[in-house]
Amino acid sequence: MRQGEVASKGAWAGNPQGGVKAPAPLLLPDPATRFARTAARLESLAHLHPMADWLRFMARLAQAQHAAAIMPPPTETPDQARVDQAVTARMPPLAADDHARTKAWRNGLATLLDRLAQNPMPATASSVIAQLRARDENAVEALADNFLHGGLGVADAGAAMYVAAALQVYFTRLAASLHAPGLRLLPQRGLCPCCGSTPVAGVITASGPAPGTRYLYCSLCGTAWNHVRAVCITCGGSRSVSLEGIEGDTGAARAETCNECHTYAKMLYQAKDMQVDPFADDLATLALDVLVGEAGWSRHAANPLVLVGT
Amino acid sequence: MPLVRALAAWHARSASDTRGRLAVELSRRGFIKLSGAGLAVSSLSALGFGFAGAALAASVRSFKLEATTETRNTCTYCSVACGILIYSIGDRAKNARSNIIHIEGDPDHPVNRGTLCPKGAALLDIVHAPTRLQMPKYRAPGSNELKPVSWDFALGRIAALMKQDRDANFVARNAAGTRVNRWTSTGMLAASASSSETAYVTWKIARAFGMLVFDNQARV
Repeated sequence: MRQGEVASKGAWAGNPQGGVKAPAPLLLPDPATRFARTAARLESLAHLHPMADWLRFMARLAQAQHAAAIMPPPTETPDQARVDQAVTARMPPLAADDHARTKAWRNGLATLLDRLAQNPMPATASSVIAQLRARDENAVEALADNFLHGGLGVADAGAAMYVAAALQVYFTRLAASLHAPGLRLLPQRGLCPCCGSTPVAGVITASGPAPGTRYLYCSLCGTAWNHVRAVCITCGGSRSVSLEGIEGDTGAARAETCNECHTYAKMLYQAKDMQVDPFADDLATLALDVLVGEAGWSRHAANPLVLVGT
Repeated sequence: MPLVRALAAWHARSASDTRGRLAVELSRRGFIKLSGAGLAVSSLSALGFGFAGAALAASVRSFKLEATTETRNTCTYCSVACGILIYSIGDRAKNARSNIIHIEGDPDHPVNRGTLCPKGAALLDIVHAPTRLQMPKYRAPGSNELKPVSWDFALGRIAALMKQDRDANFVARNAAGTRVNRWTSTGMLAASASSSETAYVTWKIARAFGMLVFDNQARV
């Protein structure tokens, strides 16, 4: 080390914060990668998995979603004045259960079903596709309304999964057309700032501009938003929050349980597995849900692709 | 529907939606419990993947849950007071022994945003250091050995010595005869990770003694 020399007279070009940044409050989805990433991750997770057949089917569904997500024409941008009004009122601008859908989502559904039908699948799954195609517009719209608003009957469980997948594509494209700096997080931090839906899982980052921060991923539009760690996402309590994991596994997926509201939400740790994808890993870690459910905690909300009778 | 009314309706619904639902209804909102039996009435079975649900239920039998707790705290080292997250094993059950297994910077803390200096990053080794001071120890005058003593003895001894020193060296008035009430022969160094309230009380106690040699978090 050289010492005792004359100090440099040049202007200092360093970063006064040392490169440490506050995390971005929300990350809008990219329809070009959102579903392709999930499909690739599901394929790799299916290997030697007890639910391999189902995961491969879901990977093909994600591929079909990808085809629908990149299909022209581009999404119509939502009316900026209405978006601003909702943001000012601290409401989600694309509120899942109030947004007036355009028929673009049904074109997406048709593309998705066409793509998916090319793959081998159980007879039940393909007969549900045939039945869904046979329904008229109003019946399909009613099914979508029931999915978004609640009131879905068990008889529609199969068709609702395809409808949910098409609505994910539609809302993802819509959310991607928003302008992130003009949005705000909701006072209900556990709900999506774009569409007000519940998250599918949380990811604790290990890279990027703010490593270690938690992002919750919207189950419908794929928007990620920042949420303080070690706090229950359902009730906001922090007194009795615990992480439950399966003994001896990688520790990448853990359930954050809360003994105040007796719920849990799944958290994925990038530090343990850099490839985690909230949508894929949630489906591949249902064993954790079963164990935590048997131990007495309820899941904060369903994954829209795995609706279960309550 | 006008937007404002629609938004008000959304608010009302989101409040009621997070509660439980009627039996045998599927919902994307509201709490659910997944189980092998529950998957029999689900998107899985409706698409002909009921066997996958059964395979899952069977595979789960060999698994066991393991609890970890994340706790927020403040680094003990300096007055910067960085936020830390402490990971411990054990679920706080009565007979389970807890143990700290990992400490990292708190990424949500505005002071350090998840970063720690090398001393802070080595906190786990301090926690588990075999040489860590865990009880008061006393080396009697003339002795070369530190002996464990009770807290009562340690606090009593400190109080007696403080009183002795203050009685001997307290300066009530300066050379000009003005009242100053100074005690300059004893100093106090207080904790770094104090809250505003703790710093306030510490300050009041030290100053009430007339103590001038004093440093604590309230200075920062």
